[in-house]
Parts: sequence; C-alpha cells; structure tokens
Amino acid sequence: MTDTAALSSLSVQLLYLSCGAFLLAAVVVLWRRQLAAIVRVFALQGVALAGIVAVLAVEQRSLELALLAVGVLALRAIGLPWLVRRAMPAAGPARETSPLVNVAASLLAAAVLTLLAYAVAQPLITLSPSPVTRAVPVGLTVVLVGFFVLITRRRAVSQVIGFLLIDNGITAAAFLTTAEVPLIVELGVSLDVLFAVLVLQVLTTRMQAAFGDTDLDDLTELRDT
Amino acid sequence: MNPAAVGLGLSLGAAAVASVTALVCPDRVRPLLVGLLAAVSGAAGVVAGVAGMAGHRLAVTLPDLLPLFGIRLVLDPLGGLFMAAVGGVAVAAAVFGIGYTSPQGRGGSGLHRRAFQVVYPLFVAAMLLVPAAASIGTFLVCWELMAVTSLLLVLAEHRRRPAVAQAGLWYAVMTHLGMVAILVGLVLFAAHAPGGSFAALRDAAGELSPLVRGVVFVATLIGFASKSGVVPLHVWLPRAHPEAPSHVSALMSAAMVNLGVYGIVRVGFDLLGVGSRWWWVLVLTLGAVSAVYGILQAAMSTDLKRLLGYSTTENMGLVLVGVGAAGMFAAAGNQVLAGLAMAAALLHVVNHAAFKTLLFLSAGSVLHATGTRDLDELGGLRARMPATTLLFGLGALAASALPLGAAFVSEWLLLQGLIHGVAAGGVAFAVTMPVAVAAVALTAGLAVASFVKAFGVGFLARPRSAAAENATESGPTMIGAMGLAGAACVALALAPTVLVPALAPVVGAAGPLLDSPAAQGALTLRLVAVAGSLSPLLLAAALLVAALAVVLLLRFVADRRTRRQARLWDCGAGPLSARMEYTATSFAEPLQRVFDDVLAPELDVDVTHVQESRYLVDSVEYRARVPDRIERRLYQPVLRLVDAWGQAGRGLANGSVHRYLGYGFYTLVGLLVLLAVTR
Repeated sequence: MTDTAALSSLSVQLLYLSCGAFLLAAVVVLWRRQLAAIVRVFALQGVALAGIVAVLAVEQRSLELALLAVGVLALRAIGLPWLVRRAMPAAGPARETSPLVNVAASLLAAAVLTLLAYAVAQPLITLSPSPVTRAVPVGLTVVLVGFFVLITRRRAVSQVIGFLLIDNGITAAAFLTTAEVPLIVELGVSLDVLFAVLVLQVLTTRMQAAFGDTDLDDLTELRDT
Repeated sequence: MNPAAVGLGLSLGAAAVASVTALVCPDRVRPLLVGLLAAVSGAAGVVAGVAGMAGHRLAVTLPDLLPLFGIRLVLDPLGGLFMAAVGGVAVAAAVFGIGYTSPQGRGGSGLHRRAFQVVYPLFVAAMLLVPAAASIGTFLVCWELMAVTSLLLVLAEHRRRPAVAQAGLWYAVMTHLGMVAILVGLVLFAAHAPGGSFAALRDAAGELSPLVRGVVFVATLIGFASKSGVVPLHVWLPRAHPEAPSHVSALMSAAMVNLGVYGIVRVGFDLLGVGSRWWWVLVLTLGAVSAVYGILQAAMSTDLKRLLGYSTTENMGLVLVGVGAAGMFAAAGNQVLAGLAMAAALLHVVNHAAFKTLLFLSAGSVLHATGTRDLDELGGLRARMPATTLLFGLGALAASALPLGAAFVSEWLLLQGLIHGVAAGGVAFAVTMPVAVAAVALTAGLAVASFVKAFGVGFLARPRSAAAENATESGPTMIGAMGLAGAACVALALAPTVLVPALAPVVGAAGPLLDSPAAQGALTLRLVAVAGSLSPLLLAAALLVAALAVVLLLRFVADRRTRRQARLWDCGAGPLSARMEYTATSFAEPLQRVFDDVLAPELDVDVTHVQESRYLVDSVEYRARVPDRIERRLYQPVLRLVDAWGQAGRGLANGSVHRYLGYGFYTLVGLLVLLAVTR
C-alpha cells in the first residue's frame, strides 16, 4: 500500500485532479446527447485514467506502472474511441434523441449514485486510510454511472460507451486500491475489453443492416413468445 | 507385474486411441477401427477386473491431474467385479457396433459419423473408471463423465426420431438431479473427512452422528437409485434406453445401471459401515416395488426395447432386494445370511449384465433388419433371422428365472437368503422377508409371461407387416457379438460353481460384517451354514436326458401309425392369416385385467352409428393405453408446477434489453444501499 508520507502534496493534487476529471467525464457522458461528443468525452476520460496511473507510477518510481500508463492511454484514449467512432457513421442518427430517463433526472441520479458509492466505499478506506485510497469511491461511482448509461440510453453506441465506462471504473478502482496491478492481469482485462468492443461493433452494424436503426428496443421483437 | 495395472492401463489407452482414431480416420473404416479398439478396451477391462477380484490390489494417485483434489484410483475386489461386468458388456457391444453403425448398413443410420464414434469409447472408459475411483473428487468426475457421454450417445439419432430429443431431455434432467443428490450426500460426508479419499471417509464414518449418516445414505441412495432406474425414479429409463442406438442401450442397460448398485454397496456397506436397519428396509422396499412394478409394465409393453428397459428396472429391483436383505442381516449381526444375500445380489448383477446385453443386441438386430420395435408389427422372424431368433430365445430363457437360465441361479440364491432370513430373529424379519419372497416369486412369474410374449409374438408365427416379412439376417459381426453374450449366458447358467466361490473376496470387500456364502463343489453349489444345494449342470443333464427320452418315445409311438399331411385346423374359416394371431396387446390383456387396479389402463371405445338408424353400428373404434401411472401421478403435477412458474417468469422478460440490464442495476444498487445502511 502506498505510504501517506511518501506522497508529496503536488502528487496528491495531481492525483485528485485526474480523479476529478475522470468523474466529471462520466457525468458529462450523461449530459451530452450528441454521440460524437460522447465518444470524445470518453476519450478524455481515458486520458484522465492514464493520468491517474502515471501519477502513481511517478510516486512509486515504478517502470511497470509507467508502461501500464502508456498502455492505458493507447487503448482507452485512442484505440477504443477510434473503434467506436468507426461503427458510428453506419449507425444511423447521430443523436441520443429520447433517453429513457431525461438528462436532468440523469444528472440527479448520478449525484445520488456518487453519494452511494462514497457511503459504500467507507470500509475500504478505513482499511488503510491514505490519499490514494480516499479516491477509490470515484472508481465505484464511474462503474455505477456506466451501468446507469446502459439501462437508460437507447442507441447502440451509447450502450458500448456505458459498458466501457464500467470497465474504466473497475480499472481505476483496481489501480487505486492495490499498490500495483500485475501487468499480466491488466493486459488480460484490456484484451477482453478490446474483443468485447469489436463484437459490439459488429453487432451494431448488423442491427443497422437489419432494422435500419440502432434503437435497442427494436430487439424486443426477437424474444420468443 | 500387476495384471490389474496392465489391464486398466491398456483399457484406458485403447479407449483414448479409439477416440482419437474416430476423430481422424475416414468414414468407411471408422466403425471397424473404433469397434475393435473399444472391444480391446473392454477386454482389458475384464482382465483388470478379474485380477482385482483375485486380489491384485491397484492404487494409483495422480495429484496434479485434476486441480484441487487430483485423481486417486484404487481397485479392490468389489470394484473389480463391476469393472469386469462393464468390460464384458463393452466387448460384446463394441463388436456389435461394427456392423450396426457401419455406413454400408441398410437405412444409413448415420451412426458412423464422427460425433457418435468419438464419444462411444469415452463412455466405455468412464464406466470402467467409476468402480476404480477412490476419492470423492475422482468419483464425481468419472460419474459425471459417464452421464454426459451416455447422454450424447442417447441423442445420436435425434434427427431421425423426435422422441429421441424428449427422451434425452428426461434423461438429462433425471441424471443431473441424481448427480446433485450424490454430490450433496458425499460433500456432507467429506466435511468430516479431510482429503475426501475413500480411506479417510471410512475412518471418519464411525464418528458421524446417526442423523448425518442417515442423511448421507439417503441422499446418495436417491442419486444411485435414479441411475439404476429404481421406482419411482425410473421414468427416464424406459424412454432413454429404447431410444439410444441398440448397442448403446446394451451398455446403458446392462452396464451403467449396475454402477448405481455399486454406489449403494460402496457407500452403504464399505464407507458407512452398514449403519442402521431402517436404511436397508428402505432399500429392500424400493427393490421389491421396482421389481414388481417394472416387470408389470414390461408385461404390458408392446415396444420390444421398452419392454427390455422395464425389465432392467425389474432386475435392478431384485438386486436391491438382495442388497437390502444383506444390509438388514448385517445390521442384525447375522454374517452368514448377509454374505449369502449379497452374493445373490452380485451374482444377479453379473447374470443380468450377460442376458440384458444379449437381449438388447438381439433387439438391435431386429430393429436393424425391420426398422421397427413394435412387437405388434413383428412376428415370423424365425424363418428369416434364425440366428437372431435362437439367441433372443436364449436370452429370454436366461431372463425368465427358469431352470437352465442364468437368472434362475441368482434368484434361487436370493430366495434361499430370504427364506432362511424369516427365522433370523425379530419382528422386522418375520414381516419383511415373507413379503420380499412373495414379491420375488411374483416377479419371476410375470417375467416368464413377459419374455414368452416378447419371444412368441415377436419371432414366431407369421409376419404381421411387410417390414417383418422382408427381414434379412444381420451380418457376421452382429451375430458374433450376440453369440459372445449368449455364450456368457450359458456359462453363467451352467457353471455358477465357478463364479460363486470367486465372489467370496468381493463380498468380503463390501464390509467386515459379511461372510463368504458358499462352499465349492465340482458340480454342486452347496451353501454354508444353511441347508441348500443346487447343481445346474446335473439339472441340465437330467433335462436333456428327459427331453431325449420323450422325443424317442414319440418317434417310437408315431412310427406305428400312418402319417398324413393336412392343413392346420382353422374352424373352417379359410386359411389362417396374420390378423388371427395373438398380438402383444392381446397376449397381455388377461394380465392387464388382473392388475387393473395397479395399472389403471385407459380404454376408449368410440361407436359410430349408421346415419339412418342408431340401432345399427357403422364402426367401433377401440383404443387401449397403459400409461406409466407413477409418472402420471408423481411427475406430471411437478412438471405442471414448473411450467406455471416458467409462464409467470415470462412476464418478467418482455424482450427489452434495458429492462434486463435494469434488473441487474437495481439489484446491485439495492444491495449497495443495504450494505451502506446496515454496516
């Protein structure tokens, strides 16, 4: 576990800044309706996540973490947004026209989820209080917000972004709670996410071809009656 | 060098090679190669099993092969007997399969395909491994492998007949419920024994409370009894065994069901050390009910393979009567009678394996030649399929507990045990033993009726359909395999004096409370401590002499009178046709009337009147069906309940992805709130 004394105040500031940006990006995803903007915000969130890892790497003087930071940046700020964007032109209307829960209510819900995450994460923080572990609720919040995006947004692209938000949140929580995520684990998780996005991209294209739309509620007709 | 180790190694190796061969070699030669290798595997299994019975102990521990618990194999005489029985059945079934699954065969069954042939040797190997497994992990893995491979084999012909899929569903559900019961019992047991090896379980059994021991026994009994097709858990058996390809039916009905008995004996006698008397009263009751109910349904059945399937339930019932009686005697401290009853049960397992293999293979030969299993559409096969007819007749004789049949010896031994047990002391014996004797006797009588029906209606008289009329005899491998099983039946029937003394170490391995049952004699089987002896060989000789004498006498008398050729008497109604014959339904009708209250047959008579006058009848339609009453009363309500539950659940699933995700989200948030509030 990271020692409190070892963190300089500048590092702590930088870490909290990254975490703040990370959380803010998730909330902005809820706020924006333009799909292209959502993907851009998601890419920025990837940068923030890479920033968190980079700060930790500098603090712990760990080459492995630095490599991971670069990897996170490459995958989550560049690779995945690129893949999602590639699926977009084919994916019909470029706007999230009518989410199941409107934007204002979504933002309120995000606030409630944040409070819940802070309340739930308290025992984790008391296990070993340090500036780093105090940021853990941010990861948890992003997981919950991602889940919320999944259940309220209609477009396939928003669904993919929701799924990726969950994964970003999990990754952030992992980096913040453990001193070091083993490289092999992070690689494995990243590969999984990459494959999931590829599959979702194919599905989105197929949906577009089959229904002329990517509204997931069109899939209702597929159930057996 | 230990022959048990060589045999088991060779057996598993051959099965593995067979499976790989099936994967790579072309369609034309696949059935031949797989059949030969599977037969080698079975034969090596017989060698290993017999070596195990002869006292060559084998213990193999491979701690790294499976994560967490590793593989642990121990072959003792008890496991050896069951391994030898499985191996023997596997040899005959594998040789039969060469001809039966050949792509050149008539109808093109599609059984030569890769998927079927790859799984077949694995099924044999799994069954050979079950009696050798010596830890809970190993046992459950082998057991499940056996269940899954047999399920795949049952489903082999699902494209040709829709009934196969339904049978597979029943089998899959029942076998996995049974697996769950076994798992619960053994895991509860293992909680008190570190490591979960059978040796550790044996040591820990003494320290368990009677309640835990009882729960362990009943849970495992449920699982093993469902595998053996014991009433009321038998419903899958008369569906799955007939729908499987015939040589797989033989493997399942003659070999796999035995392993259920093995499980009961292993857990009840060996691991739990006999325990309380009520366990064994329960086993005996289940056995007696299964025997009578099974053979009654068999007597009513018009489907040849279904009849054989119900007969399996009957025979497993008889075996359980023996096992239950042995347990009661052992719990009461009567070692001699316990040993006698156990030996009778084990001998019946072996006999049943032999004659059920023969019968299912012959039924397969008939099915292969005619394409039907319906006895009402068969008949007249004697002239066209003489070898199959002869061998089926032999199997029917062996199954019907008449002198010169294999089952006669074991049922005689069983009756000896039960009759002498009446005086073994206590009210429990005085009540249960006579009832059990009556059940066994009734079963024996009904078995004769069933097999007379199967043989007489199916093979004799005139053909009732074009398929039966155009039947041709099966190929040499199929006849050869049936001949092999037939030879085993004859050997078991005439020379039990060889096998019964060899059962002594097997019975001994089942527990210290059982004694060796029989003294050997060259010709006569003499029982120890209770009066009783039997010599099937002398009996056979006497019967042969008597039959010869009668034939000679008739010749002598008949030669004195002039012979004349004449038509069979037909009441003057013109030549006899196939429609005047007894069918399977009409043959069983008197029995159906006698057991009306038990069977509750469904009769449906529709009378259509002539339009002009209702006093004149235009046509009468008569339908009779004998449904499985236990299935109807016990299973249908449960199935309806599950169905209603499923319908109610359907309201939750409206097809909206958001709703499904929402269920997960709200549950998660709810749990987190609960956590945050209650912490």
